[in-house]
Amino acid sequence: MVELGLGITLVAGIVLACVLIPLLDHANPDALVAAPLQPPSSAHPFGTDTLGRDVFIRVFTGGRLDLTMAALGVAPLLAIGTMIGATIGFARSRLLDSVAMRLMDGLLAFPFVVLTLVIILIVGADATVWPLPSGAVSVLVAVWIVNWVVYARLARAQILVLREEDFISAARMLGFSRARIIVRHLLPSVWPVTLTYAATDAVLFISVMAGLPFLGAGIQPPTPDWGGMLYEGRGVLGQAPWITLAPAALLAGFGLGVMLITDAVVGRHRRVTLP
Amino acid sequence: MSDKITSATHSREEVGRIGRLSRNQALRRSRRFVIIKQTVDRVGQLAAVVFFVTVGTAVLLRVVPGDPARTILGSHATPQSLGALRRQLGLNESVPSQVAQTIVRLVHANLGTSIVYRGQSVLSVVAPSFGVTASLVGVTMLMSVIVGIPIGLGLAVSRSSFPDLVGRLALTVAIAVPSFLVGLLLLLGVSLKLGWAPPGGWAGSWPTNARYVWLPAVALTAYLGPVIARAVRQMAQDTISQPFIEAACARGIPRRRVIWRYVFPNALLPVITLLGYSASILISGAVTVEAVFALPGVGQILTTSVQARDYPVVQGIALITAIGVVAINLLTDVIYTLLDPRIGAAA
Repeated sequence: MVELGLGITLVAGIVLACVLIPLLDHANPDALVAAPLQPPSSAHPFGTDTLGRDVFIRVFTGGRLDLTMAALGVAPLLAIGTMIGATIGFARSRLLDSVAMRLMDGLLAFPFVVLTLVIILIVGADATVWPLPSGAVSVLVAVWIVNWVVYARLARAQILVLREEDFISAARMLGFSRARIIVRHLLPSVWPVTLTYAATDAVLFISVMAGLPFLGAGIQPPTPDWGGMLYEGRGVLGQAPWITLAPAALLAGFGLGVMLITDAVVGRHRRVTLP
Repeated sequence: MSDKITSATHSREEVGRIGRLSRNQALRRSRRFVIIKQTVDRVGQLAAVVFFVTVGTAVLLRVVPGDPARTILGSHATPQSLGALRRQLGLNESVPSQVAQTIVRLVHANLGTSIVYRGQSVLSVVAPSFGVTASLVGVTMLMSVIVGIPIGLGLAVSRSSFPDLVGRLALTVAIAVPSFLVGLLLLLGVSLKLGWAPPGGWAGSWPTNARYVWLPAVALTAYLGPVIARAVRQMAQDTISQPFIEAACARGIPRRRVIWRYVFPNALLPVITLLGYSASILISGAVTVEAVFALPGVGQILTTSVQARDYPVVQGIALITAIGVVAINLLTDVIYTLLDPRIGAAA
């Protein structure tokens, strides 16, 4: 219970901050406001970065971008992947199941970072699709191509268990169409599993995106995002740690919060002790 | 009942028939069959991987706006060099024939020639980097297993639940922080401030490489170790809640023996499968950590090849990493099947 409360506070706090602070504080995150590498002060709560921009506003504007990207990268996959998995799981043909599983496993074998770089090669590092800033498109495309498979597998596994249940047989006997059975009877039991995974997936996505600037990919400067700020701060880690610590704290805090929530929801709480 | 019967005098089918299992059922549960099925599955996965990479590259090359050859060579290229490059990229043929050609070359372990490093085979360009990344991943797995299993087991069997709570929280924090971030912080703390490790780079040979690989491996272990610890802890807890453990304790078997003889072997099982599943994530993490520590691994060669638009090399890297993941998964599948005595134990 403690975990759940802690997790929700962390996540809600960070999300709210990233949404509200850029709205309320109208400062331009790209503006040069003071001398570079200033430590935190009352005027600039998180100090200034290597170019003299205010870290405080940048870190929350960047957070807004990163969180939006995570939502874009996870929500469609959750919906489509679960649907596809449910359809495959409920299908009668074992051949279709085998072939689909092999294809999906094939997609899963690609390490995500490698795939993202390949997509960037194809699409170009600075492709821009409004309203996303340059670099965002490649990451999204890479995620969309590969990550839906996990949701499909989770949904399929659940369906394979559920399809033997009596209430499904009853629905079939009543003559309900397969589509109706899937949507109205099977999916409600599948969503909890895939939703839980979606939360972890969002954290993973943000983490990977934060690492991409180190590989020459990801959101292009000057658009602020956590990964970019971490990358910029790495050179002055000794003198100006606040540039790295601000996005790092938010990133880690968000990840921690989500993990706490998923653990509390999924976790089996009854602890067994060995006498 | 038939699950427990093995016989020196009857074949598997006969025993199955006696124990009221059909021949097919008895066969299906035999260990050898399970391993064969796993291998067939993985081969299918391999085929899918090769299919995706070859077809994907061929299609994407043509879908890209503009002329790939011109983008690579620049606007001052001569028509001859453009034509030669187009031929090398396979742009002059149809998609199916290019895919077929790539697959035939693959069978001969030929991944093509690099565009940037003129004339050199992709394999020779890429092999040293894979050596670096493979050693990083290998050391990480070793460290994670050594660190994760004792922690997971310790948390599961601890008498009071307070250390368990604190431990679980610590593990969650460790997993939540991305590996490259841990690497960055370690670089600052351990390497720059304390001087216990060189600030990145790589020696050419073992064992000198050890002093360059240990800190990046620690950064990756900060993720994989806790993952293993959590799985071990969960499995150990599940085992402890089983009746036979309670029976063992009631019979007066010492606590230490119960832990090591009964709980520990069961808790180990998920580790093997976990290592297989983590291979893909680990490679992704390794690539980014390599960038932080300036290790000449796959990340570096991939980044430069992407920037230089060296399509054959990028395709080769994608292929090798994916095949590597499939191979590791097959290995862990087989090892798990061999280790778990419950599989194939029927008849």
